[in-house]
Amino acid sequence: MSERDAGGVREAARAAVERLVGASRLERALVSVVALVLAIVVGIVFVFVSGFFVPDAECATPFLATPVGLFCYNPFTVFYFLVVSAVSSPFNLAITLQATSILVLTGLSVAVSFRAGLFNIGTQGQMVFGALASGLIGPWLVGQVTQGAVGGAVVIVGTVAAAGIVGGVYGAIPGVLKAYADANEVITTIMLNIIASGIAFTVVSEYVNPGGNIQTEPLPSWAMLAPIVAPPGSRFSVLVLAGALVGAAGLWYLLNYSSFGYDLRVSGLQPEAAAYSGVDARRVIVATMTISGIFGGLAGAAFVLMAQGYWTDGLPAYGFDGITVSVLAINSPAGVVPAALLFGVLKSGTIGFQTSPYVSVPPQLADVLRGIIVLLVAMPEFVRMVGVRAGIGSLGEEGVTAPPGGDDADADVEVSPND
Amino acid sequence: MSHAVELRGITKRFPGVVANDAVDLTVEEGTVHAILGENGAGKSTLMNVLYGLYQPEEGEILVDGQRRSFDSPQDAIDAGIGMIHQHFKLVDTLTVAENVTLGSEPRGRFGLTTDREAAREAVRDLADQYGFDVDPDARVEDVSVGEQQRVEILKALYRGSDTLVLDEPTAVLTPQEVEGLFEIIEELTDQGKTVIFITHKLGEATTAAETVTVLRDGKHVGTVPTAETTRESLAEMMVGREVLLEVERSASEPGEVVLEADSLSVTDASGVPQVADVSFEVRAGEILGIAGVDGNGQSQLAEVVGGVRRPDEGRLRLDGRDVTDDSRRERIDAGVAYVPEDRQKRGLVMEFDLADNALLGGQHHLELGDRNSDPETAAEIVETYDVATAGLDVAAESLSGGNQQKFIVGREFGRDPGFVLASHPTRGLDVGSIEFIHDRLLAFRDEDAAVLLVSSKLDELQQLSDRIAVMYDGSFVGVVDPESTTEQELGLMMAGEQPDEGTDDRSTDARAAGAGARTDGDGARTDGGDRGTDGSDARTADDRAMADGRRQPNGGSAIDGDGGDDR
Repeated sequence: MSERDAGGVREAARAAVERLVGASRLERALVSVVALVLAIVVGIVFVFVSGFFVPDAECATPFLATPVGLFCYNPFTVFYFLVVSAVSSPFNLAITLQATSILVLTGLSVAVSFRAGLFNIGTQGQMVFGALASGLIGPWLVGQVTQGAVGGAVVIVGTVAAAGIVGGVYGAIPGVLKAYADANEVITTIMLNIIASGIAFTVVSEYVNPGGNIQTEPLPSWAMLAPIVAPPGSRFSVLVLAGALVGAAGLWYLLNYSSFGYDLRVSGLQPEAAAYSGVDARRVIVATMTISGIFGGLAGAAFVLMAQGYWTDGLPAYGFDGITVSVLAINSPAGVVPAALLFGVLKSGTIGFQTSPYVSVPPQLADVLRGIIVLLVAMPEFVRMVGVRAGIGSLGEEGVTAPPGGDDADADVEVSPND
Repeated sequence: MSHAVELRGITKRFPGVVANDAVDLTVEEGTVHAILGENGAGKSTLMNVLYGLYQPEEGEILVDGQRRSFDSPQDAIDAGIGMIHQHFKLVDTLTVAENVTLGSEPRGRFGLTTDREAAREAVRDLADQYGFDVDPDARVEDVSVGEQQRVEILKALYRGSDTLVLDEPTAVLTPQEVEGLFEIIEELTDQGKTVIFITHKLGEATTAAETVTVLRDGKHVGTVPTAETTRESLAEMMVGREVLLEVERSASEPGEVVLEADSLSVTDASGVPQVADVSFEVRAGEILGIAGVDGNGQSQLAEVVGGVRRPDEGRLRLDGRDVTDDSRRERIDAGVAYVPEDRQKRGLVMEFDLADNALLGGQHHLELGDRNSDPETAAEIVETYDVATAGLDVAAESLSGGNQQKFIVGREFGRDPGFVLASHPTRGLDVGSIEFIHDRLLAFRDEDAAVLLVSSKLDELQQLSDRIAVMYDGSFVGVVDPESTTEQELGLMMAGEQPDEGTDDRSTDARAAGAGARTDGDGARTDGGDRGTDGSDARTADDRAMADGRRQPNGGSAIDGDGGDDR
């Protein structure tokens, strides 16, 4: 490629990012839907073409026989099973909703910080600490109460509270570092994720259960969130889903019905307008990160109290998935719920699909399909966010005093050199 | 002499605004040409068109007499146009030589390696040729801002530029560096290069350029040789005048001192003073106007008064209470209405709808359970101020600039303020809206509020103000009575000079009105090397200071330029 072409491509890419940055919320939601459809189409083509490369001998029931060869896989069945196996049985549905409810919590954790313009990658670490707190406090509380419904409730409430507090404190750390030392939150939260896993591992392996498995003491079933409407034995409690939905509603209320929510939204969109309107930027940063941490910690408690019963090394990456969920939901609390559901379906569908006797497709293909969906659906929003942060394009057209044009426009003259 | 660059009828539109409206520009080869205009006049847009960053809707570009069409900066570079942006585009961690040659490095063995020695040599030769003082091996992050600018210029020269466009080149420089830059520009033109530079400072245009083109509101106002023009007439061209009806104005009856500024100073991050020892009072029932060409410290002064910026020195008292260290929120609570200069960065949240924006600044007085949005107030503002909008639920960004401004003014004026700070409140508005806002400002005054009006429109200031303080280079040149001062005299003061004797009563007026304006040349930014203000005793009486400030042909060297240089 010549230098000129490279320049052209760069200009075109820049123009595309500018268009994304300037898109309205409705347009962005539309982009997400179109991307989902596109992802399914791409997935269908991908599965179909993959079928061509299966040796004919291994293909018992070809989907399509053509003169050039056999296309072994039926892409429609593949998608059918991917979705259907996520909801086909009460047990499978429980797996779907288990993932969904935890993802709502991590998604909210990410969404609240992204709305404030904070690129918080630390939900995973906050969740790890929340889970660790649950794994330590839970068994301790079990020893303090008598077995039974009341005792179980005390353990659960106490554990949830502890996990929320620990997660909140752990979330506040990068907030304080950002507000008072101008430390980039992306870097600090990524580092704190690693620190969280390291500390948790050390605490458990050295002090809690030295010499044994790297896990905390399992909670008895009476001290866990029981599957209420889900079939016995499944690890989903509707209480967690209800709690997560209440969290989403609460966050929505906070954003739209409080001074703090207003401060948070202005800070995320236009820090200078926030300063002009009397917002204390430091306070907003610390408070937002604390809230984010609380949601992360609660996700950890949900995982321990509902799914696993103890803390163990190598928690699922719900915290990182929360980033994708939030991005897909254009960082709105209401959007987090369907986005988490989509991810829940994909997560449990993959499991069902991989174990289904009806699908002859290699199980790895399911992960590829999931990847395609995540990539296509989340990328436009992600690119947009990066674009906003990099200052490409303008959030809105600019009027008389300020022609848009990034850092070269007249309008910047007064502000930038002085700040 | 041939034309190095010729722009014909360039029109560039952005949504809701015509940034360049059929602008012509002819630049002779081997000359220095200044593009002069206020912020938002369309200077940068025009140069970005020339540099291929923007594609104009109409008009043509001629370079060396040949028609060209630039799809990207690369096309412009190929045609011999180089641009030095205000914010340098250098890689801090690379050396000077690496930065200069970046992207077109001399190739070494088999074209696979960079020939560092050749690069260093080439940069050294180039620097010697033009008498630049740069060390090719120094890292860019270690050198001063002035040197970084020279690196940018070398970069353009290395790429074979014959015409160099400098965007506000002095904005980031210390006074000494400004002088150095002008010497470099002279050396460049001596060697046949053509230099175009953008500025909003009159002094720079007249000092460094041979020809000045003035833009205003996206239109070409005129092109004049500096030898045949005066600063006042340039100032008038820049600011322009709108035909307004005479405002009915009763005599003012100033009451208690509401705002008192005592020796305020603001220095920017690189140590360049922007507001230097400014003192004044605003009383209840009077309007104090602050005049000046953009970029002479009015913006920073307004930000300090509004509470979004802390002064580096000096105190600010509101109703007798020291509010210097108060937060912006406390300032709002104290009843300060603030129409900010930058409506799209500060005054409105562009993605918020009008109902949300109506709450901006008032969001900390919500009742529990209230939605943090205020459609009632928004509707009231839209109604009262005749804001043209498709509804209250449309984003602020979809409004035209003038309507955005009306909305902000309406919101701020609607909060029943005791003190009004209005920074360019009528910029970009039509005559009808201007008159409405003028009436409101006078109404505040008549209701015993104190008003501080920052504007670059002389007629506006003269019609509304009870006193006008003229700001130049960060300090007050003087405080005058608008009744007895002509626009020409004001224009002269805005250019940093004192008008002739004969209107001397205004200084006594100012003192009688209790305006402690002090002229202070110390540390002021020079615009041109030839006429910095002097650094003499800052605390002299007004008359003395004004006399001192009249003309200092060689005063530039007296200015201290700490910081910046050894950054």
